[in-house]
Amino acid sequence: MGLDLKHLIIREKTKLESFSSKVIAIDAYNAIYQFLAIIRGPDGYHLTDSKGNVTSHLSGLFYRNINFLSLGIKPVYVFDGKPPSLKAAEISRRKQIKKDATIKYEKALSDGDKEQARKYAQQTTSMKDYMAEDSKHLLQLFGIPFIDAPSEGEATAAHLTITGKVYASASQDYDSVLFGAKKLIRNFTNSGRRKLPNRNSYIDVEPEIIELEKSLRGLDITREQLVDIGILIGTDFNPDGFERVGPKTALKWIKEHGKLENIPQIQEKLSEIEYKQIRKIFLHPEVADVSEIKFGETDRAEIVDYLCNERSFSRDRVESSLNRLKKSLEKRSHTLEQWMN
Amino acid sequence: MVFLAKTSTSDEWKAVISAISTLVEEATFESTVEGITFRGMDPSHVALIDISWPNSAFEKYECDSDIKFGVRIDEFSKLIKRAEKNDSIEISISEDNMLLVSVGKNKKYKMRLIESSASDTPLPKITYDAKIALVSTEFDKILGDVQVVSDYLSISASSTKASFSGRGDSGEVLITLEKGMEEIPEISVKQDSTATYSLEYLNPIVKAVGNTTGTVICEYSTAKPLRIEFKVANIGRIYFYLAPRVES
Repeated sequence: MGLDLKHLIIREKTKLESFSSKVIAIDAYNAIYQFLAIIRGPDGYHLTDSKGNVTSHLSGLFYRNINFLSLGIKPVYVFDGKPPSLKAAEISRRKQIKKDATIKYEKALSDGDKEQARKYAQQTTSMKDYMAEDSKHLLQLFGIPFIDAPSEGEATAAHLTITGKVYASASQDYDSVLFGAKKLIRNFTNSGRRKLPNRNSYIDVEPEIIELEKSLRGLDITREQLVDIGILIGTDFNPDGFERVGPKTALKWIKEHGKLENIPQIQEKLSEIEYKQIRKIFLHPEVADVSEIKFGETDRAEIVDYLCNERSFSRDRVESSLNRLKKSLEKRSHTLEQWMN
Repeated sequence: MVFLAKTSTSDEWKAVISAISTLVEEATFESTVEGITFRGMDPSHVALIDISWPNSAFEKYECDSDIKFGVRIDEFSKLIKRAEKNDSIEISISEDNMLLVSVGKNKKYKMRLIESSASDTPLPKITYDAKIALVSTEFDKILGDVQVVSDYLSISASSTKASFSGRGDSGEVLITLEKGMEEIPEISVKQDSTATYSLEYLNPIVKAVGNTTGTVICEYSTAKPLRIEFKVANIGRIYFYLAPRVES
């Protein structure tokens, strides 16, 4: 699941409020996947409507967007297109994990072990096509724009940070950094209180920001070298990485030898990996070019109709959230920046 | 490097810290030969505080190069609160990069510094059409009066009067001050101006600094930011900038 750059790059704690009036490109699949994993009933089942269709993703999207818009944040969601063919191994590995987890989940459930059931249920999470369609429909009612990326959504989101169309990209995956996102926000769509798996305690998940330039300067390497480090540790396109090479070793080798081709220890293994192709995916990815990101009005009546009449949401909760949004929009102040130039 | 700043009482730091604490959790101060300055915005960039504390306002001030030091406001505040009103406060920076704070005759604190944020915040550039000087306790009362019914304050000024109003779900309020009333020592208006500001920001800063200052000077223009100047004895000046509310 993504690559582990946690200990190499500089992460700084931040607050959602600090993104007020900024356009943020959200990795849509990543966010929806998290909603599906986290938003579940006590038995580990998803929330569903009266017809039995899953609604956890809609619940997450609805409440999060209310929150973003209330704070004056302008989200734009970027959906994945066709994954690069090199991702096949990773995709089948994930499928296997889900299969295994489903078996364990059913066993835990029949044993009456709710805690275990919940844990495995989260691992069975998978995205269905109709969920993306539902999500896009809800975004439209909110007047929130979305973009269909030709390939990896993170790549297009990163591209938008480079062209300045958005302020930052939001995803949990560090791959965004390799794709060149100037600023990456983690924990953007899941900040708040969260239950720790397997424990009866909660943590406060706070958003954190990663600035590519700052991290590269801190490590004293180039982005190309960071991509090589990623390949050593293991990316979605070579999930196993190199045996016994963690972030520390990878950094040390790249700093000593400059690039993958010059590291003597790995030459044999390197020849088995499509590393040039992987570099290209990160450094010259296939992206959508967007000329303008347009924000619309929130259609409150349509949202109530869709969520409450069609998807069995509680009318009271949906209406009071929409009222909260209306109130905070009325209360909002400008930011001082527009008078600073 | 020489840096030492001493105030004869603890009030000055208490005012500065309570002002800053209304907006941010971490603060970076800059010291130069001329004195100490602070500038910072709240996380949503609606309000800004700009403090300039000239060397002449200190009982003793020495600084031979430009330095920046960052503190966590809650930590610094707890420490300064240990000072009695008449305790002097002397700050300097130790060789191992800690903030040394001498309180009164015999208390010496050493406090960790945090990495100072480097970003230089520019000041908003505005031409102000209206200028109203108010007795600060009166201003505080007006804010309290308006808050009863509203989350925001509208200010209207003409050459003869200033009015403060608010409206909420429960009702509305209007408070008028005519030129010549003692609550309002000065009003000068180039052009009639009306703007609305959030009490969520105004109330805390006026509460925090208002009681250390005799009058406050409010300057603004229609639908543009408000600037409040607090003149605090032995500090110099504190400017507070506040962006207007989005009119729907």
